[in-house]
Amino acid sequence: MSEKKQQVSRRQFLNYTLTGVGGFMAAGMLAPMLRMAVDPVLKPSAAGDFVNVGLAVEDITTEPQRVDWLVEQVDGWYESEVSRSAWVFKDENDNIKALSPICKHLGCVVSWEGSEDYPNEFFCPCHDGRYYKDGTNVPNTPPLEPLDEYEQKVENGMLFLGMAKPRGEA
Amino acid sequence: MLQKIYDWIDERVDVTPIWRDIADHEVPEHVNPAHHFSAFVYCFGGLTFFVVVIQILSGMFLTMYYVPDIENAWKSVYYLQTEVAHAQIVRGMHHWGASVVIVMLFLHTLRVFFQGAYKKPRELNWMVGVLIFFIMLGLGFTGYLLPWDNKAYFATQVGIEIAEQVPLIGPEIKTLLAGDENIVGAQTLTRFFAIHVFFLPAALFALLAVHFLLIRRQGIAGPL
Amino acid sequence: MHRGKGMKFVGDSRISAERKHNIPKDYSEYPGRTEAFWPNFLLKEWLVGSVFLVGFLSLTLAHPSPLEGVADPTDAAYVPLPDWYFLFLYELLKYDFASGPYTLMGIIVIPGLAFGALLLAPFLDNGPGRRPYQRPIAVGMMLLAVTSVIWLTYESAAHVDWETRAEQNKPIHPDEQVNIDTEDPGFAIYESNCLSCHGDDLSGGGAGPSLIGIDRSAEEIATIATDGVGSMPADQFTGSDEELDQLVEFIMSVNEE
Repeated sequence: MSEKKQQVSRRQFLNYTLTGVGGFMAAGMLAPMLRMAVDPVLKPSAAGDFVNVGLAVEDITTEPQRVDWLVEQVDGWYESEVSRSAWVFKDENDNIKALSPICKHLGCVVSWEGSEDYPNEFFCPCHDGRYYKDGTNVPNTPPLEPLDEYEQKVENGMLFLGMAKPRGEA
Repeated sequence: MLQKIYDWIDERVDVTPIWRDIADHEVPEHVNPAHHFSAFVYCFGGLTFFVVVIQILSGMFLTMYYVPDIENAWKSVYYLQTEVAHAQIVRGMHHWGASVVIVMLFLHTLRVFFQGAYKKPRELNWMVGVLIFFIMLGLGFTGYLLPWDNKAYFATQVGIEIAEQVPLIGPEIKTLLAGDENIVGAQTLTRFFAIHVFFLPAALFALLAVHFLLIRRQGIAGPL
Repeated sequence: MHRGKGMKFVGDSRISAERKHNIPKDYSEYPGRTEAFWPNFLLKEWLVGSVFLVGFLSLTLAHPSPLEGVADPTDAAYVPLPDWYFLFLYELLKYDFASGPYTLMGIIVIPGLAFGALLLAPFLDNGPGRRPYQRPIAVGMMLLAVTSVIWLTYESAAHVDWETRAEQNKPIHPDEQVNIDTEDPGFAIYESNCLSCHGDDLSGGGAGPSLIGIDRSAEEIATIATDGVGSMPADQFTGSDEELDQLVEFIMSVNEE
């Protein structure tokens, strides 16, 4: 039998079919497995969960005050309550600001006027990191970025806070 | 008696050619430390494999006690460290073996590099070897998290944050690694456990097999 | 070996009925002092392996594998460090040309180039010569890479006080943890003055050591709170003398348990 006359030889045909059937079996096996593995990426974002932090808007002054609250954190099958805290105040334009107290240097906790030497600033005791009142890092101190800001909204005169986002994204 | 059993099996299965094929090959003079002491540099590859065997065995036994769950992972490690006879040695072997295997791989790589042993026709085997190196680093990264202590948790946090900074697909890589958008937690631990215990070792075995087959086919690179 | 017609098989199987001789090849006629892998050379390898194993087991026994306290995501003061063989990458990210706006340099460009070059070394260094002096560029690059990796690892590790780290992060079983009375008036004072460094359970953090199990008198604690000690700056405590007394009493009470 001359193979030149035929477009596809019998052996080629069998090889193609074998590849096709093998591909089908591989795809059939792996498709559900891969979909399962990438599920976290494809799940809709759970952001936008605002929590009442128990602070009435009229109680917010221009002086930063620390608020602590608990959020329900759901990690797959594991549910836990985690505490969050923020420094809340009204800026000169009367807008509410809620700053995360996590220092952008190494993640210590900053406090308002935490050092008597630096009034009107946030101060991190770990490595003397400092931030101006609006959260901007003081140049030439260890932190390189401004403090994160919480997403916020006001409902029924109460302050609700969401996730902490880097400046510019909140 | 043993010889009889062997003959009985050999008559039916003809196993002699199989193991002879592994056992019968020549070892040239220049890699033999008995003839040239400097040939000890050729031991690093074999020692790497030896440590890999230690890692596999100690890892298999560690999973008899270890639980990949954030509530119990640390407690199970603490328990086996403090309550189980010799378990501290087994975990120690796994812990230190992880470091020693990197050192041995590093030395083996340097030996091959400085001797130019990766040149034609051995390019493919070099690339397989570098892939093995990457797999080892991956095993180190995923294994580090499993005891679920502070060191593990925060180092993984940093590693995942670094992955997040990759342009365009960074957040997706982070979620894929951590199993959740924002939390390094229960789903991260199970994911890392699966990768550390099943996925990467499977890849490692395949690459090691190719590595050894290529050495046997091509032979050890000649003396300089 | 017999081939083709006349081959004999065991039963109806495909196993040849003729036995192969179980004798290793004779390498004595090969050029050079070649020897058989099995068993001659393997024995030497295993001797090396045995020496190695003794050293390895001694290391294992002398240094039990470390375990720190159970992961506490709320421990904001913990300073993270990767395993030692990732330290060079970690250190690289601290340099100006690899951080801030140039982070991409540090996380993708530099490691990508280095590891990519390592993977493709046979094709980049594709001349015929194998001796190091015949390929100065490849060898030079490798020496540079090895030196920088060792240097970066050293730089990163040298700045870490490993003993203090281990001391601060001792594993404490949750059941054995000291119960802290958060209703104590001293705790409120502790919270506002000391908590950010010493942690909400007094177990220490990145900036301050644990306050549990310390062997100091009340006067010493009071002095340290106001004047600092070691790397702790002075004036960390701000409040009245009465509050200081309550704070010291609180810290002492935790230690008594």
